[in-house]
Amino acid sequence: MDLEFLINTLSLGSLYALLALGLVLVYGILKLVNFAYGEYIMIAGYGLYFSATVLHMPWWATMIFGVAAAVLTSYLTELAAFRPVRNKSANALIVTSFAVSIFLQNAVLILVSPRARAVQLPPIFSQTVNIAGATTPVRNLLIIGTTITVLILLSLLMKKTVLGMAMRAAADKFTTTRLMGVPANLVISAAFIISGLLAGIASIFWIGRSASVDPVTGAAPLLIAFIATVMGGMHSPTGAVVGGFVYGLLFNVLSITLPASMISYRDAFMFVIVVLFLLFRPEGIIKGGYTEERVG
Amino acid sequence: MTMPMLTVENLMASYGVVRALHGVSLEVNEGELVALLGVNGAGKSTTLKSITGILRPVKGSITFLGTEITNRKPEWIVKQGLSLVPEGREIFGSLTVEENLRLGAFASYQRDRYKADLKEIFELFPILEERFSQPGGLLSGGEQQMLAIARAMMAHPKLLMLDEPSLGLSPAMTDGIFVLIKRLREMGSTILLVEQNAERALEIVDRAYLLANGEVDFAGTAEDLKRKVDIASVYFGGDDAAPCEVPL
Amino acid sequence: MSLYARFLKFAQKHSVLPMIMIPVVLVGIGVNVFGSSLLLNVYTYFCVSLIMVLGLQMFMGNSGILNWVHIGFVGVGAYASGILSTAPMVKSMGVPNMFPALVELNMPVIPAIMIGGLVAALLAAIIGYPLMRLSDFVGVITLFATLIVFHVIMTQWDNVTNGPRTFFGVPEFTTLTVALIGALIALVVAYWFRESGLGLRLRASRDDRYAAMSIGIDVVRVRYYGFITSALVAGLAGGVWAHFITSFSPKAFYISEMFILLSMVVIGGSGSISGAFMGTTFVTIGRELLRQVEGTINNAHVLSFEVYGLTEAVMAILMIVILIWRPGGVVGGQELRWPLFKRNKPSVTKEVSDGV
Repeated sequence: MDLEFLINTLSLGSLYALLALGLVLVYGILKLVNFAYGEYIMIAGYGLYFSATVLHMPWWATMIFGVAAAVLTSYLTELAAFRPVRNKSANALIVTSFAVSIFLQNAVLILVSPRARAVQLPPIFSQTVNIAGATTPVRNLLIIGTTITVLILLSLLMKKTVLGMAMRAAADKFTTTRLMGVPANLVISAAFIISGLLAGIASIFWIGRSASVDPVTGAAPLLIAFIATVMGGMHSPTGAVVGGFVYGLLFNVLSITLPASMISYRDAFMFVIVVLFLLFRPEGIIKGGYTEERVG
Repeated sequence: MTMPMLTVENLMASYGVVRALHGVSLEVNEGELVALLGVNGAGKSTTLKSITGILRPVKGSITFLGTEITNRKPEWIVKQGLSLVPEGREIFGSLTVEENLRLGAFASYQRDRYKADLKEIFELFPILEERFSQPGGLLSGGEQQMLAIARAMMAHPKLLMLDEPSLGLSPAMTDGIFVLIKRLREMGSTILLVEQNAERALEIVDRAYLLANGEVDFAGTAEDLKRKVDIASVYFGGDDAAPCEVPL
Repeated sequence: MSLYARFLKFAQKHSVLPMIMIPVVLVGIGVNVFGSSLLLNVYTYFCVSLIMVLGLQMFMGNSGILNWVHIGFVGVGAYASGILSTAPMVKSMGVPNMFPALVELNMPVIPAIMIGGLVAALLAAIIGYPLMRLSDFVGVITLFATLIVFHVIMTQWDNVTNGPRTFFGVPEFTTLTVALIGALIALVVAYWFRESGLGLRLRASRDDRYAAMSIGIDVVRVRYYGFITSALVAGLAGGVWAHFITSFSPKAFYISEMFILLSMVVIGGSGSISGAFMGTTFVTIGRELLRQVEGTINNAHVLSFEVYGLTEAVMAILMIVILIWRPGGVVGGQELRWPLFKRNKPSVTKEVSDGV
C-alpha cells in the first residue's frame, strides 16, 4: 500500500478517534448525546488564539491554556446545565446540550467576533518530513504519537485506578455504582473533565490544519465524533476508537475514488453509507451488552 | 430498651400518580435478622429502595443509628453503614470479580483491611477466589449472587439489606444462599431480608413484616407468623392475606 | 343523557381547539385592522411558524423521537413550491444552471404548495422506513446526519436549488389571512392526529416501546406513518413560508432554524397541541423583543462593537432554564381544558384495603 496514504489515514483516524472518544465517555455514563461537545473544541481554539495573540505566551503554554479552556468549559457546562436536568428525560438532556451549544457559539460571536481569528502554532505544525519516499506533514506524525499516548494513559486510568473502575461501573449500572458509595457527581464530573481534555487535545490538531478559529469551528468535528461513535458502537471506548479509524479510512477512500464533480457530495455520501450500515447493524461495529436501539 | 438500629416511620412513596407505599413502619434491632415478606407489587423493593435513597419517599422518616437519613443521597447512606444487595444482583458484568469487590470497598477503603477482608470473603465464597480475574458477567446466577453479597460486605455494613437473593436461582443454589444468610447472622451481622419465598425465609429469621398493597399487614416473630398466617395467602395475595383476628 | 348534556361533554372534551383558535383569529383580525406593517409581518410569521411547529409536534410529541429532519422537509416543500410556481423568465435568470424541464414549469400557487407538501411526504415515505427502526441516540444521530445530507444536497445541487445562492422571485401569495387559515387547519389536523387511532398508538409506543409491541402495535409502522404525515405538514408549511418570504437559500433549512422550531416545541411542551401553541407564542414574542433590544443597542452605538447573536444566546439560556424548571415544558403533556382553572377537590387517595 501507498505509504503516504497509510500515514494520512492513520493520522486522520487518530484525530477522529480522539474526537469520538471524548463524546462516548460522557455518553457511556450519562446517556447524553452531547451537542455541546463541538463547542469545547471551539473554545480550546479560542484559548490558543487568546493566549498566543493577546497574552503572548510561548507555544507550549498556549497549548496548555487551550486544553485547560476546553476542560473548564466542559466542567462548567456540566455543573450549570447538565447536572440540573440529568434526571429528566433523554430528550430534555439532548435539547439542553443543543441549547448549550447555541449559547456558547453566540457568546463567542458577541464577545469576540463573527470573523475567523488566525491561530499561531509552532512552525513544526507546518513543516513536512520525508519518510521512505513519502512526504507528509510533521503534524500527521505528531497526532499519531499523541493519540497512542493518550489511549495508553486513558486505558491505564480506566483499568488501574479506582476512579476508572467506578467510571466503567457507572457506565454499566449507574444506580448500583452509587450503592457502592461512589458519588454520582464525582464520576459524571470526571467524565466531563476527561471529555474536555480529549476535545482540547484534538482541537490543537484540528485547528492546526486550518490555523484559524471561528464561532462555528466546532460543528464539523462534532459531526465526525457523532458518526464515528455510532459507527463504532456507543457502548464502549473501544468502539469509539475503532469508529474513528474506520471513518478516517472511509473519508480518505472516498476522497480518492469520487470523481471531481461529486467531491462536494462527499459528506452526504459518507452519511448515507453510515446510515445504511447502521440499518444492518444498529449497535455499531463493536457490540456492547445491549441491543436495545432497534425495534421491529 | 435500646434504640432500634433502623427505624422506618410512616413511609409513603409513589410512582407518578400511583401510590406504592401507604405509610410503612418497621424497625430492625442490632443483631437481628428481619424479613420483609409479601407478594409481587406489595412494596417490598420500594421500601428498600426508599431506605437506601434510590427512591425519594413522598412522606415519612427513616432513621439509621440515630441519624435521619430520609432524602439523603445513596452514596452518603452507604457511608453510614447501610448496604443493599439489589434485586437481580446487579453485578458489573464488564468488570472483573476483583474490580467488583474493590468497588464494594469504595466507601471505606484501607489497603490492609481490604487485603484481610478479601481473605475472609474467600473463606466464605471459595468460588470467588477461583474466578477472581474473570469478568462478573461470566459468572453463573448463583455465583453472581454470592459476588453481590460479598461486594456489599466489603463495605463492612452495620446493616445489610438483601433484596430477593433467591430470585431466579436453582433450588440447590437457593438452599446455599439461605445457609449463607443464616451463617452471616450467626457471625453477628444485622440483616433485613426481602423475600417472596416466605416459607424458607421464616425458617431462618427472628422477626418478619408482611407487606400487602403498600401497607404492613402483619408484624411479629417468625413463630407468630407461621402460626397465625396462612402461608399460601402470602403467595396468592388478595384480601385473605391478613386474617383479621391477628392484632397488629 | 340529554342531547344538551352530550353536547356539553363533547364541547368540553375538545375545548382545547376553540380555546386556541378563537384567540388566534381575534388577534389576527385586530392585527389586520389596527396593526403596523411590522406587526402584520410578525403575526403572519407567527402563523406560518405555528404550522411548522404543529407538524413537528405531530411526530416528535407523539412518538418521542427528536426529529431533526423536520426543517429539511420544510425546505423540500419550499423549493418544490417555489420551482413550480415561479415564472420561467425569473428562473432562467435567477437559477442559470437549472434543468430546462424545471425552468418550464409554471403553475398557480395553491396547487404548487399542495404538490410541495406531497413531494416532502413522498421523500419521507422513501427514506423513512429504515430510519424509524432506530431508536434512542442512534436514532437521534441518524436523523441529525440525515438533515446534514439534506443540507449538502440543497447547497450542492445547483441544477435545482441554485446551490448555496439565494433562490429568488417566488410569487408573493401568503398574506396574513392565508397564513391564519393555514394555521387553523394545521391546528385541527394536529389535534385530530393526536386523538386518532394512529396518534394513540404512537403515544403508546412513546411511553413504552416494548409494552406497545406486546399488545400488537407495529411500532416501526406507526412511527413511519406519523413521520410521513408530519413531513406532509412540514412541506405544506414550507410552501406557505416560501410564498411569504419570496427569496431564500438553504441556510433557512438548517440547524439554527431547527433550533428555533425545537425551542418552540420544547418550551411549550412537546406532549400537546397546547404546548406547541404556547411555545410558538412565547418564542415569537421573546425573539421579537430581543431583536428590538439587539437593534436598539447596535443603533445607539453605546458599545464599541455590534452585538450579533444576543437573541440566540438569550433564547438558549431561557430554554435551559425552562428545561431545568419544567422539563415537560410550560404546558406539559396535557391539553388545556375548559374551564382553565378548576378548584381542586381534596383527592381521596385513602384506599379501603381491609375488606373485612
